[in-house]
Amino acid sequence: MLKDITFGQYFESKSFVHKLDPRTKLLLLLIIIILIFISKNWLSLLLVALLIFSSMIFSKIPIKMYLKNLKAVLPILIFTMIINLFYAGSTTATPKWSQNLFWNLTITDISLSRAVFMASRILLLIIVSAELTYTTTPNDLTDAIENLLSPLRFIGLKNAVHTLAMMMTIALRFIPTLIEETQKIMNAQKARGADLENGKLIERIKALIPILIPLLISSVRRAYELAEAMECRCYNGGEGRIRMKQLKYNFDDFFTFLIVFIVGATIIAINIIL
Amino acid sequence: MSILEVKNLTHTYDGNTPFMHDAVKNVSFSISKGEVIGIIGHTGSGKSTLVQHLNGLLKATEGEILLDGVNIWENKKNIRAIRSRVGLVFQYPEYQLFEDTVYRDIAFGPKNMGLSDDEIANRIYEVCDLVGIKRDYLDKSPFDLSGGEKRRVAIAGVMAMQPEIIIFDEPVAGLDPQGRANVIKMINDYSKRYNATVLIISHNMEDMALIADKLLVMNKGELAIFDTTENVFRQHERLIRMGLNVPIVTQVMLSLKQKGIDVPDNIFTVDQAVDYLLSLKQGGNRNA
Amino acid sequence: MNNIIEVKNVTFEYDDADRKDIILKDFCLDIKRGSFTVILGHNGSGKSTLAKLLNGLYKPTEGNVFVDGISTVDEKNEIEIKRRVGLVFQNPDNQLVASIVEDDVAFGPENLGHSPDVIRNEVDDALKAVDMYDFRKSTPHRLSGGQKQRIAIAGIIAMKPDCIVLDEPTAMLDPKGRAEIISTIKKLNSEKGITVVLITHFMEEAVDADRVIVMDDGKIVADSTPKDIFSNISLLKQVGLDVPQTTELLYRLKQGGMNITTDVISIEESAQKIYDAIHLEEI
Repeated sequence: MLKDITFGQYFESKSFVHKLDPRTKLLLLLIIIILIFISKNWLSLLLVALLIFSSMIFSKIPIKMYLKNLKAVLPILIFTMIINLFYAGSTTATPKWSQNLFWNLTITDISLSRAVFMASRILLLIIVSAELTYTTTPNDLTDAIENLLSPLRFIGLKNAVHTLAMMMTIALRFIPTLIEETQKIMNAQKARGADLENGKLIERIKALIPILIPLLISSVRRAYELAEAMECRCYNGGEGRIRMKQLKYNFDDFFTFLIVFIVGATIIAINIIL
Repeated sequence: MSILEVKNLTHTYDGNTPFMHDAVKNVSFSISKGEVIGIIGHTGSGKSTLVQHLNGLLKATEGEILLDGVNIWENKKNIRAIRSRVGLVFQYPEYQLFEDTVYRDIAFGPKNMGLSDDEIANRIYEVCDLVGIKRDYLDKSPFDLSGGEKRRVAIAGVMAMQPEIIIFDEPVAGLDPQGRANVIKMINDYSKRYNATVLIISHNMEDMALIADKLLVMNKGELAIFDTTENVFRQHERLIRMGLNVPIVTQVMLSLKQKGIDVPDNIFTVDQAVDYLLSLKQGGNRNA
Repeated sequence: MNNIIEVKNVTFEYDDADRKDIILKDFCLDIKRGSFTVILGHNGSGKSTLAKLLNGLYKPTEGNVFVDGISTVDEKNEIEIKRRVGLVFQNPDNQLVASIVEDDVAFGPENLGHSPDVIRNEVDDALKAVDMYDFRKSTPHRLSGGQKQRIAIAGIIAMKPDCIVLDEPTAMLDPKGRAEIISTIKKLNSEKGITVVLITHFMEEAVDADRVIVMDDGKIVADSTPKDIFSNISLLKQVGLDVPQTTELLYRLKQGGMNITTDVISIEESAQKIYDAIHLEEI
């Protein structure tokens, strides 16, 4: 489970979506999320869904990857549906059909439709976010964030942006190392008879001390050594630093932006007309 | 009678857990009380995975481990008691130190066994005398000690549990010659004092020749050879094929043999080699 | 200039809250350009401190360290000195910054502000020099210790240094990893002409050096050729160094009255020496 977090959920492939610039994917994700939320009717939501489904086909990610992801959020999905099912809302329309279950909980055709609508939104949201992590490595995402935030340097935040990106890079590098180390320390303390599985909550928290202290000490030592090593490699903050891999938009990126903008404009038009 | 018996131990790595360990395939062997066993094999041969089964840190996919004839997993709740009988000292054990004094750190294991404070104190003084940790060190912070001293404190922490079987994973890695000699002496003293069974994983064939009665050779997750140190080191060609080697002094002897000097094939330590070569010289003089 | 590094009368004190440790006192050392120098010493002999003084990571309390004639105390040459004298540490894990091999190797050149095309070439060359080009897309976490250490070396080589200082680069590696690193270092010295300063406590790693320096308690106790140093086994033992078994064997045979010298380390040469000695007796 931990390893999934570590390596993101990147799925190696050379598809159209994989080859898009990570900034394109990150920006389009934001736009699509906005589109999902401004879609007030089934027609616009259907358009967004079509957009997302076609991108899924272009990403060449096996459908079962998405299903695996959905399984994890199924409880949230069901919870949202139930809440919406019984929540009449401030609608003025009169339901054509209604069914009283028990007490005063009533399902109407309107609430049913709303429940399905809300669930569909969440579903699309999850799918499109997952697609980004499936098709983009955490490193590319970090680069994209650094690049997209770089205009902040004009308000004097250049170092902050670089530092944030560097921290993310180092975190990605060291998470697997620290997970492995945690496991080693846990095993070493278990070999000395530590009981990590049983006992009351307080006892279990106390049992973590022999693991957390060595882990902390070793992390500090690693941080110190890494800082020295970085200094030896001429690191001097973000100033004057030029990346080997430069991000470059190409025709595919413009094309993709165009498609999304057309769909977006249509949705806004539908919202105005209907 | 054997104190530890491993029967058809298989561990397959299922790829679902985030922690990698190497596979072990159908390994069987048994060890008698008081024996010192060296475990050799190149990185990834399954040595570390194997030993983590012996105290129940890992659970075998197939096969069983018998301690004094009883399956260690017979009573699941008892597995912590098993761990105090089969001690395991990991590589770089100083990284597990966490208490504010040496005393309290060594006490961690015995405390987990549920021993009384008096008994814990007795054991700590006993182990310190045995391995040469001075009494005035007990109140120091383990983090103020030198690398070699930390290592000894960490090992003492496992020894204070007085396990019948004690396993070491690369106990001298990263130490200088003095530190190495200290740790090896600690291990020897412990095994003599308690007639304990010792298993040592090491890459250092020269150390193995000095301390191991028997060698267990792992290769690609399988048990390749399990025999007396002498018999294992006689098979140098087979060891080389597995990416291992015989002690350097034995390699010198093999080279001498190729040059036409008649040397026996059971020289594995410098002492043996010196004795033999000097006797050869004297013998030569007599003939002349 | 013939010397790439000149350590002149350096004293280094370690200022801790409660105590003051003098690690080096009035220490002098010159390193010849293109040479392969091995510094032997046990833990705490001051050799790691020396390593960090050589590229200006530590500044001398007194005295001067010159790299190509430039003092390391000079703040404005800080980066250029670190580029010229690369430093590789013991633990490969704690030197790698990025989670993709080639991105990590690019870290140094990126900091130097080279253009992307130039960096790409430097990275590819460095990876080829340490025989890790095929692993450029891999992640360090999946590599062996020896492979990780070679990536760390590549990260330094990519900055095109004149000199590379390695502080116990093999201490945490298995025999296979150790052999990989030593052969990589030798290759960099002989093929690329990079000056190498290898700090270690494994005597056998000094066999092919041009010069061996033995340190003890912050001082140089011996400075000569490997052959010369290895003949003086009692000194090496006295300062707590690892003596290879071959040397130990020759030394003990000599003590036992055999007419033999102890200045070789390799198995083949040692066997030859013993063979000759035995035959000499027979004649």
